[in-house]
Amino acid sequence: MKTFDLKYVGHDAVRIDGLEKITGSAKYVDDIDLGPATLYASILRSPYAHANIKKIDTSKAEAVEGVYAVVTGKDFPYRYGLYLKDNYVFPLDRVRYYGQHVAAVIAVTQEIADEAAKLIEIEYEPLPVLQNPLDSIKEDAPLIHPDLGNYEVVPWLYPQPGTNIAHVRKIRKGNVEEAFKEADFILEDWYLVPHVVHAPIETHVSAALYTPDGRLTMWNSSQSPHTQRNIIAHSFNLKHKDVRVIAPYVGGGFGGKAGVNMEVVAAACAMKVPGHPVKIRYTRKEEFYDTSMRQELHAFIKIGVKKDGTIVALKHQLYWDVGASAEYGSNVVNATGFSAIGPYRIPNVWIDSFAIYTNRPPCGAYRGFGYSEFHFGIESHMDRVAKAIGMDPVEFRKKNAIQEGDTVAYGVKMGPTGIKQCIEEVAKAIEWGTPSEQPKEPNKVRAKGFAAVWKAPAMPANESSAAFIKFNEDGSINILVSGMELGQGFLTAMAKIAAEELSLPLEKIRVELPDTDRNPYEWQTVASHVTWSCGNAVRRAAIDAKEQILNTISEAYYIEKTNLYLEDGKVKSYTKPDFEIPFEKFVIDGVQMEDGTFRGGPILGKGMFMPEFTSAKVNPETGQGGHPNVHYTTGAGAVEIEIDTETGRIKVLKMAEAFDAGKAINPDIVKQQITGGFVQGLGTALYEEVKFSEDGRILNPNFTDYKLPTALDVPREMHPIIVEVPQPDGPFGARGIAEHTMIPVMPAVANAVENALGIRIKNPPITSEKIIKALLESKK
Amino acid sequence: MKTFEYFKVASVDEALRLLSMYGNKAKILAGGTDLVVMIDDEMVAPDYIIDIKGINNLKGIEIRDNYLWIGALTTFSEIIHAEIIKEKFPVLFEASKRVASVGVRNRATLVGNICSAVPSLDSAPTLLVLNASVEIKGKEDKLVPIADFFKGPRKTILEKDEIVLGIRIPLETRKYGANYIKLGRYEGEDLAQVGVATFVAEDLEYRIAFCAVAPTPVRALDAEAFLKGKELNTNLLDEVVPLALKAIAPISDVRASKEYRLHTSGVLLKRSLKASFDRLKGNGPSYGINLV
Amino acid sequence: MESKEIKFKLNGKIVRTEVKPYDKLLEVLRDKLGVKSPKYGCGRGECGACSVLLDGKTVRSCLIYAVEVDGHEIVSLEGLQANGLTELQKSFLKHNSFQCGFCAPGMVIQVTELLRENPHPDEEEIREYISGNLCRCTGYNPIVDAVLDVIKNK
Repeated sequence: MKTFDLKYVGHDAVRIDGLEKITGSAKYVDDIDLGPATLYASILRSPYAHANIKKIDTSKAEAVEGVYAVVTGKDFPYRYGLYLKDNYVFPLDRVRYYGQHVAAVIAVTQEIADEAAKLIEIEYEPLPVLQNPLDSIKEDAPLIHPDLGNYEVVPWLYPQPGTNIAHVRKIRKGNVEEAFKEADFILEDWYLVPHVVHAPIETHVSAALYTPDGRLTMWNSSQSPHTQRNIIAHSFNLKHKDVRVIAPYVGGGFGGKAGVNMEVVAAACAMKVPGHPVKIRYTRKEEFYDTSMRQELHAFIKIGVKKDGTIVALKHQLYWDVGASAEYGSNVVNATGFSAIGPYRIPNVWIDSFAIYTNRPPCGAYRGFGYSEFHFGIESHMDRVAKAIGMDPVEFRKKNAIQEGDTVAYGVKMGPTGIKQCIEEVAKAIEWGTPSEQPKEPNKVRAKGFAAVWKAPAMPANESSAAFIKFNEDGSINILVSGMELGQGFLTAMAKIAAEELSLPLEKIRVELPDTDRNPYEWQTVASHVTWSCGNAVRRAAIDAKEQILNTISEAYYIEKTNLYLEDGKVKSYTKPDFEIPFEKFVIDGVQMEDGTFRGGPILGKGMFMPEFTSAKVNPETGQGGHPNVHYTTGAGAVEIEIDTETGRIKVLKMAEAFDAGKAINPDIVKQQITGGFVQGLGTALYEEVKFSEDGRILNPNFTDYKLPTALDVPREMHPIIVEVPQPDGPFGARGIAEHTMIPVMPAVANAVENALGIRIKNPPITSEKIIKALLESKK
Repeated sequence: MKTFEYFKVASVDEALRLLSMYGNKAKILAGGTDLVVMIDDEMVAPDYIIDIKGINNLKGIEIRDNYLWIGALTTFSEIIHAEIIKEKFPVLFEASKRVASVGVRNRATLVGNICSAVPSLDSAPTLLVLNASVEIKGKEDKLVPIADFFKGPRKTILEKDEIVLGIRIPLETRKYGANYIKLGRYEGEDLAQVGVATFVAEDLEYRIAFCAVAPTPVRALDAEAFLKGKELNTNLLDEVVPLALKAIAPISDVRASKEYRLHTSGVLLKRSLKASFDRLKGNGPSYGINLV
Repeated sequence: MESKEIKFKLNGKIVRTEVKPYDKLLEVLRDKLGVKSPKYGCGRGECGACSVLLDGKTVRSCLIYAVEVDGHEIVSLEGLQANGLTELQKSFLKHNSFQCGFCAPGMVIQVTELLRENPHPDEEEIREYISGNLCRCTGYNPIVDAVLDVIKNK
């Protein structure tokens, strides 16, 4: 039997979408023209963060020449939600955040729509505004969702009717109180991680066309075409077969284009004007106000350790501000509740993770899905605890790092992990243990900081992926999947997996972007799970196609299947060295036999993957008894920084991050995930924060005052490192690493700051101003 | 969306005629990098836009008599690339490099920047320490010292029927060193949290100006008087800071707190004075280097 | 409000089109003339995604009214590659310099201007030039590497 080394998987290649993107040919939703019947919508937004709607009068707007329709809550009085149906297509009687869409005017031009929207008269009755989750859970706090008890919810989330708590995830493992008694050292403290936004450079865009036959077609900038189809079909009482979501390239998602948000507005608008496409492209300001953002976290952490560095107990209470809707964010709260121990072996654990409503914009998925936020506290704490007992923070992490076979907080065994290798590789790259060389300037100081992380994909137990592989006359293939190319290299990864199984060069492979009419099911492109999940589906589809190919050739040429193999787009035989049949000879037309008849026919592979070992059924009081996560990806990161002690300016000189990808399908693209994720994390560590006024307005809804890192603000020296401890059920051993790469950054920077100046910042972003304030206070 | 009528004028007289007709309802458009955003944000709502980019005699940078003239249509990129600027007023090159980004500087004009009169405007401290003046044309011709030009946030002395033709910077016959430092939230494009320009001539005349720390860009005259005639040293730097800070009145906003602005104004002032002084002596950092 | 006919050179060809005085160049290029490489990202000149060359200089087409370009020359990415991929584009491709690709056209425009002005910029100069072009995916270093590679091979 001939054995093969991997020819495509694990080797670098030019991305298969590279040429489209570098020539500007790649089509994003806004690049699609929908013809002269297209109408434009202007959205009227709430000037209050919390108010009752007493009256809406749209008559003046409707009377404007060129206006086709005005949409308000009464037109589509539906609630929707991915996990908890608490969000409104348009609000009915109450607005819950500043900037919430209240009405839309559809007109023949954007100018007419904008002007007419100003003529809508709305009478509001302002209500008290809640902006802090710790205020929202006070007993006398006004209720943001008084009907919470009536909302539809998935069975594994627990809304608390009569409160502002949308969900609570509890973990009880061992006995923390007893364990704290036996600890040699205990540290407890609070951390606060503020709201940040995804800020993809492409804002949300959605175009919709509803035709009088009852068909709704949408073009969405989306990570979740099938989930959008599902939610929209349910919300508007349409049949799934009649809703078609087409998802062209996405100009950045980062979780912000997961699930549904403004797409329901586009769908509602389109349904009011049958036959007319309606396109809505959010302005940058709207992107800040009315898509979703990362939830704010107030975390209380208490850790007990033995003198020898063994962690004995963790109490972690997470108070999440999920904003005015928890339809998606409730699952962030849930997922982090299960995992808020960090990548460590901890025998006694108490976790409460609360999803709390406030009058801030709805929060949802954001690269890292809550793990960045809780790791900030955990990994800050790890450094502080290690130092307090006189241990090196890296040694401390290595000592406690979770290993295969250890029990995680909800009672399941940990799978294969390369966390120790990651920690060691990062320590080596950042030269941990060698003090930073100090600059000559007396006002500059340098130091290093470290963090280790883990993350599991957060998804329903039965999330699934499916794939078709269609052969063409020339032996090339089109792969149909509904995973989304967000820039992470998904298309290239899928192409390589198929290339490897079918031994087909990448030039002969095209992977199609999602169209829910044509492409098979995919839950969503989130959770860094598609390389693993959809990769498995594509691999199975390729194996299915391969079987068909081998069957055809075996039957037509009377060669045992086991004696056949595929190489470079041809079928070859182990037993007959000169036998080779190129795919193009038969993959559509089949093989003609001596009698003139044909064998075979169009080759069409299909594959599906759904994990069959997961279950969300757990005891709500302890979190034990189920298997909520498929696996964990682990890693570590470190920075070397320089601080100007007069201005407080932090410059990151060098970074190193290592992640256990199981198997890097395309190493070059994996490394780019690491550098890119690091820089997104750097933004949140140093600059990024959504700031609110007392009445709930956003004070910085633009790039003037919400600062994304630029090419000048990133370390010149970056060390992205791949570790490969195979994932047994991953395609070629692969697991996801995309979100994980931003998780270590906030705590690594905070730890470096402490190592440099002896000050502990517990509330990112660690701005120059906070450094100076802390320095001045420490001198008092 | 705001609608307006657009005029492209070929002469200053034509622009003035339209201004006298439409007054406050009209806005002058040069680079537009500030005006367009203000219109989109509905901070201004002009009915008439007068595009002056066709007025050829408002373009350019040249020496006239005893001053350098920078026309109203001169962009920051043109200033950055002009040899005459690097030769005569390299600090203006240094300050221009701190304005926004290349793609904005290719369009934004120095005169447009001062006419916007935002407190954080980058070019003002440098123009203040160079004793620049503003050429204005309206019913009568005016030459206004830049120090008298700003009236408040987004307010200048410009009357509704006047336009700025250009900036005059008196040629310096003495040897001098100068510097502009801007502190933003990071190295990338940002509005100033604090900006400081300093100037010191060989006869030890000092000039100091700030932006982003008062309703208008300001000179620190007391501090200048204190330093006059003195060779700069570390003690002197410590002593001048409190005097200079008396000239400013920073506020807290989304970009920085009052306290941080006060603290860093002192830090930046020391750095800037040192850089200017070292440049005067021939051993300072080269112009254009960022000192934060 | 009255429309006005403007005439300008777009990617080497003279075009005429009717615009309203308040129509942005970005929208006219995209919606009227079918030039889709400049993208809307912020509408305030802060992200660089809408960059085009105006008389050879990079500008933000979201901050320019279309009427202003009457009689001028605009080159977008479509025009730069009229004779095939430029060396810069080839290098970007080779280095997988982009992920989502949304900032790529603006980035190519901005670096093209830089290399015309200075064929041998150093790394810091490259960073300074592209610091007004935001990229949320790559962390920038893959972009800088590709530019350095082009310069090295010049």
